Amino acid sequence: MMESYEVAIIGGGSAGLAALKQLSNLGKQAILIEAGKQVGTKNISGGILYSKKPRNGRVHNVEDVYPEFLQDAPIERKITQYMLHSTSRNKVFTLNLTAAHEYQANFGYSVLLNRLTAWFAKQAGESAEKQGGGIVSGVHVKSLSWPGEKTVIETDELDPFEAKAVIAADGVNSEVAAMTGARTKFTPEQLYQGVKVIVKLPEEIIEERFGVGTDEGAAHLFAGDVTLNHIGGGFAYTNRDTLSVGAVYHYDSLMTRPTEPSTLVNALLKNPMVAEFVKDEVAVKMEINKDLPKEEQLRVRFATSKLIKTWNELRDAWYSPSGRKRLVEAGKFKTEAEIKSRIDYVQNELTSKYSTRFVTDYVELEYGAKLVPDGKRCAMKKPFHKNVLFIGDAAGRGVFIGPRIEGLNVGIDDAVRAANAVARAIDRNNFGPQYMGEYYSQMIEDSPYTRDMREIDKDYLKIFLDAAKDVPKDIIGQRYGMLFRLMSSGTLRGLAVGFANILGYDKLLPLVESEDTYVQVPVELAEKMGRSMTAMYEPTLPTVAQRVARLKYDDDRASHIKVLNPNSEFMKKMVVLCPTNCYSIEGGEVILQHEACIECGTCAKETEWHHPRGEKGIVYQYG
Amino acid sequence: MSDLNIAVNVKLEPDFSEGNVSYNADGTLNRAETKSILGPHSAVASNAAFYSKVLYGARVAVTTMGPPIADIALQQAQLLSDADELHLYSDRMFAGADTLATAEVLKTGISKVDGKTDIVFSGHRASDGETGQTGPQTAWKLGFTFLGNVIDYYVDMQSRIVRAKRLISLQGFYDVVEEVEAPLPVFIAIDPSYKASFNTVSQRLAFEKYQKEAKGRAQNYKQYLKVFNAQQLGVDPKLVGLPGSPTIVYKVEKIPKAKASRKAEVVEGSSREQLAKVATKIFEVLGGLVIK
Ligand SMILES: Cc1cc2nc3c(=O)[nH]c(=O)nc-3n(C[C@H](O)[C@H](O)[C@H](O)COP(=O)(O)OP(=O)(O)OC[C@H]3O[C@@H](n4cnc5c(N)ncnc54)[C@H](O)[C@@H]3O)c2cc1C
Ligand code: SF4
Repeated sequence: MMESYEVAIIGGGSAGLAALKQLSNLGKQAILIEAGKQVGTKNISGGILYSKKPRNGRVHNVEDVYPEFLQDAPIERKITQYMLHSTSRNKVFTLNLTAAHEYQANFGYSVLLNRLTAWFAKQAGESAEKQGGGIVSGVHVKSLSWPGEKTVIETDELDPFEAKAVIAADGVNSEVAAMTGARTKFTPEQLYQGVKVIVKLPEEIIEERFGVGTDEGAAHLFAGDVTLNHIGGGFAYTNRDTLSVGAVYHYDSLMTRPTEPSTLVNALLKNPMVAEFVKDEVAVKMEINKDLPKEEQLRVRFATSKLIKTWNELRDAWYSPSGRKRLVEAGKFKTEAEIKSRIDYVQNELTSKYSTRFVTDYVELEYGAKLVPDGKRCAMKKPFHKNVLFIGDAAGRGVFIGPRIEGLNVGIDDAVRAANAVARAIDRNNFGPQYMGEYYSQMIEDSPYTRDMREIDKDYLKIFLDAAKDVPKDIIGQRYGMLFRLMSSGTLRGLAVGFANILGYDKLLPLVESEDTYVQVPVELAEKMGRSMTAMYEPTLPTVAQRVARLKYDDDRASHIKVLNPNSEFMKKMVVLCPTNCYSIEGGEVILQHEACIECGTCAKETEWHHPRGEKGIVYQYG
Repeated sequence: MSDLNIAVNVKLEPDFSEGNVSYNADGTLNRAETKSILGPHSAVASNAAFYSKVLYGARVAVTTMGPPIADIALQQAQLLSDADELHLYSDRMFAGADTLATAEVLKTGISKVDGKTDIVFSGHRASDGETGQTGPQTAWKLGFTFLGNVIDYYVDMQSRIVRAKRLISLQGFYDVVEEVEAPLPVFIAIDPSYKASFNTVSQRLAFEKYQKEAKGRAQNYKQYLKVFNAQQLGVDPKLVGLPGSPTIVYKVEKIPKAKASRKAEVVEGSSREQLAKVATKIFEVLGGLVIK
């Protein structure tokens, strides 16, 4: 007999897990199916996780779903500075947007999704277990069908099972959306491509460099020439002992003039300001003399690796109050000063015995990419199909307006709304589209985030204009004309916003989200008003192959992607736009080598695209 | 009390991974500088025991003979198997034991485990120089049916019969999978390629539950640990350690590598010309051979 469950949630990202936690909080049984072997290994973000308090209406925040969030969750730093930099060559002009960051916000924390999602999973999993449910990871859902009222779910790994309600939280490249036909694949106009690297940097160096206290952090956004003329921008966020450095660009802008994602991050890393942000002391191994006997070569290689590992570990601990305390308390060192002398000793050994050099450079730990749905353009109008409710990226929801980058919090809010709708259906044992789907759809309509995806918020705009009050009007005015001049005036702003909203986002967006906004204006600002910056070194930028070599995969011999038309213009662009160079041209045709795929979804539109089977594919360590 | 009682014999071994292993100038392993961990084959045996925990709610005991620091191998095995009990057999008297003397200690240890043991798991062999004999010898001393190279098993709890698949490599020919049946109790030496599979949602949920329990237990592994010296174990001193070891390893020699009989030429790079060069070479060597 087939196993049967009340609710099946497909996808264990921040959205799916919040749905599981909320359902369990409401005393309902639910299971969650996640493709990654460990929950959190497939998820990637920028990322700042917000908790919001809109003036009208209410949203469900992360700390409402997980009451222990603030005390216990592995959050990185509370963002207390939010800066927007306009760049041109070595010139940088800075606007302080901390007020915009704090606008209607309880807090914004920098987060790394691997560890945070794992924490969500622990909380949600424990609650779910009490209701007879839980999390099943390493399982990939491949089809849904409705032989009767219940949905039969088939996976690549398990015997089929059935559920009365399904919550689709399977991300921007949702296969559930494709299987059910609930929506078409997103088009380039509706998407951004996000790419980022994790840079290692010891804790107290971050605090000194960014001028933030313990537990505090900074967010820096970049526009101007670092975008290589694409619409979008770069970011650098401080985590506890790493930085997240990346870029998010409109996918259609990349389609017009394809640029390698890796090149886009490199452009950012080469900017003198960012280069100075990421720099650190780095040990460089000496090439081993190939004339030495094999045994001696091995000994030198292993000894160097071991000493460098020790040097790194001790140094990371040394630059962290908790790290120093831990080493002393564990009895490994008598005093903190002893740690420092040990580091010096190891460094000296490495230099004198193994010819290791110590140079200024930066250390990249992880490279990653993913599509981001632009909620303004692709949020599902009715995010359900039969008894399946769509949430988060799967529903195309997220608030991305200028420097406002919010997907995580939106997905969590959706999750609570979906869970509440499902719980109500369970109480009535009515999972019909009228009773459950329509009800959920209405709750989504009521979400303040939905409003933000459709309308300009004049108060948010004001903060912007206030921050930019010293910007010469001619730079802005000549481009945006009448509308913006109206908005700069306090009394007329309401009128202007009203007018803009009548015009509608679809008409307004091409005007605002343009090369002018993201490239020309910032470049002009930087050139006219920026300060000069110089980097003291040139970062050694890894090649794509080196970046891929550092990633962890669980290889699947079978490809999860099938190229449909190897001659199409779209596929030819993938040769450039695939972040890990999976595509190449051979004999005029585009061919795919899927092994390095990081499941970003960039090529999904014109391929038969699935996530890999359970446990297979990319395994992010930071995310 | 559980309906199925399982014991796992594990071993502490050097960690051969880069960054952790250390060699002396003469190329031999520097044991003092190299970290020790649960041996990879022992890890597979622990996984096999965990399978019974998930499917049958088995009670699991993990045992090892070794120095006091071998308790970390037990901790790591507990993390994998959610063991209910950990045994460390540690005594100077055990030093210098060969496989037979080790088997004597392990056999005696099994009798100290709570409940009557139905299945004993061991790894295929150790990675730091062992011959794969400890398992069969322990089984023989216990009087259990020995099943080696097992890649899959399940227990019919009603009839108390084990059905197992054994991977048999006919060297130079092909591999065959043999299916065997044996009544409990049995001793299973698990093949390195063993991988447990859990095929239903409820099995996966049980898996998650026990895995979480295992994490908690392994954090407090000392609560589950019992250490036995020779006297507490009640072994016969003549049968353990050096006196109980009929074989003595008196020298380990490196096997000199045979001189390559083939001549190789390395062509670096992947340009068209370089590839053409490789193709020409292959063609020259293969001469008239047609490759399909
Ligand atoms: C570079 C970048 C920067 C960003 N910056 C920010 C930021 O600063 N702040 C912010 O709030 N948001 C940011 N976002 C957006 C945010 O990261 C996403 O909105 C959010 O992570 C989406 O969560 P989700 O749970 O909806 O989807 P995902 O995290 O994508 O989760 C989907 C899950 O479903 C699983 N899955 C998929 N298909 C199947 C299947 N068939 N069977 C089983 N499992 C399946 C996947 O393995 C995955 O774990 C950023 C995104 C990117 C890429
Ligand atoms: S193959 Fe497609 S999904 Fe995979 S990394 Fe490349 S573009 Fe992204």
